[in-house]
Amino acid sequence: MTVGSPGATRKGRARLLVVAGLVLLIVVGVVAYLSRPEPSVGSSAVAALESATPTASSAPPAAAAGPEATAPAEEVAPARLEIPALKLDATVAAVGVDAETGEFDVPPSVDRVGWYRFGPGMTATAGSIVVAGHVDSADQGKGAFFRLSSLEPGDRMTLAGPDGTDRAFQVVARERYSKTRIPLDKYFARDGAPRLTLITCGGPFDSKTRHYRDNIVVTAEPVS
Amino acid sequence: MRLVPLRRVTAVGAATLIAFGGLGALTATPAFAATSQVSVVHGIPGQNVDVYVNGKKTLPDFAPGKVAGPLSLEEGSYDIALTKPGDDISKALLKVDDAEIPGGADISLVAHLSEDGKPALTPFANDVKKVAAGQARIIVRHTAAAPAVDVRAGGKPVFENLTNPKEAKADLPAGSVEADVVLAGTDTVAIGPADLNLKEGTATIVYAVGSAEDKTLDLVTQTITGLHSAPGGVPSGSGGQADRGLGLAWYALAAAGLLMLALGARRLVPGRR
Repeated sequence: MTVGSPGATRKGRARLLVVAGLVLLIVVGVVAYLSRPEPSVGSSAVAALESATPTASSAPPAAAAGPEATAPAEEVAPARLEIPALKLDATVAAVGVDAETGEFDVPPSVDRVGWYRFGPGMTATAGSIVVAGHVDSADQGKGAFFRLSSLEPGDRMTLAGPDGTDRAFQVVARERYSKTRIPLDKYFARDGAPRLTLITCGGPFDSKTRHYRDNIVVTAEPVS
Repeated sequence: MRLVPLRRVTAVGAATLIAFGGLGALTATPAFAATSQVSVVHGIPGQNVDVYVNGKKTLPDFAPGKVAGPLSLEEGSYDIALTKPGDDISKALLKVDDAEIPGGADISLVAHLSEDGKPALTPFANDVKKVAAGQARIIVRHTAAAPAVDVRAGGKPVFENLTNPKEAKADLPAGSVEADVVLAGTDTVAIGPADLNLKEGTATIVYAVGSAEDKTLDLVTQTITGLHSAPGGVPSGSGGQADRGLGLAWYALAAAGLLMLALGARRLVPGRR
């Protein structure tokens, strides 16, 4: 590049513009790639669990089937949820439904997660044990399930009962649904194979309504 | 022991048939389901019975206060008879011929006393529509030889002026309630109080049975499970920190990059000026 010639300088500046423009585009492209939402994995595994008939071997030893097996005992509430891959050890509260909205009553405190007390409990031999937690909150920051969408099939987790018993699970699926399309009946089913279903929010955030568009659902099956 | 009315039973058989005729209108019948679930409730004090369906002994030695079944019955007409345990069907205590069972319904067939103390066999169509998440259904049926009653929960009337053989129902938040039955418009307790555990996603059907005159009034409870539905949604984030989509600044940056590229390219391309 010849300095001093007006033509050359102009050409040099033009080249600089092209290079800078390309660099910017590449940077934006890389960021866009890195921030893309994780695709759903394992949906077929969820469908298989849903339609499976629970077998006797999947029953935890604690649940002894008495002569009155048709009358289900009270469900056992889990006390803690541990997910080593997320460095998470959260208190589990037994929750129901918000009387005003009819929605899952997720514990207001974001470091706690809520177990759906109307559905299967931690010793359940059939159906979906549902635990939901905040991804974040406007006034409390990141929630217990902030990184739920980074779980991968094979990751382990443990539900611990109040009396020291625990039950281990292994992730088989991670799915993302628009909140208007999520098949909640499937995730709140009380039949099918025993499984643990973790739910939080994700996807694009609407800062006007202060809601996320999507739900993230992680399904895990018991491991012995 | 009050066996007298049971001997009078065959006489009222014809009268109770009317109730069956009206049942079809009460039950929504999906076209695909031709089988009905039929539970049998014994609400006549003091006499075990054998229950015959179409001449076949279906429920032997069925005790008062019990609920049996559900039996899966194809849509059609049935002959139902109740005998003393071991007695021949020709000596039936209570008999209903050609009872129409509609398809795809959930029915409770109740042997009980009418308001004036005569045995009757009344079918009720059970409301098995799903209940909202967190809710439980309570259905109360007056099938006792007693006048009109109010049903109270926690001391407050919930269903008022219920007469034999009518029912009243409501969907309530799941949980335990202390219920009692009083003579309509009074505080005179006829039955109870009894603790009812209304489990979420179930229907609890409570029958008032027996006779006020004979002081045999009691409650019989039937539960139908599997009526639960999922919550309306799972709202679990209000911060927006987990939104990993690109913000406006990134789009502006991309636009700037494109602009620079375009300007530079234009200057580099010869012959344009």
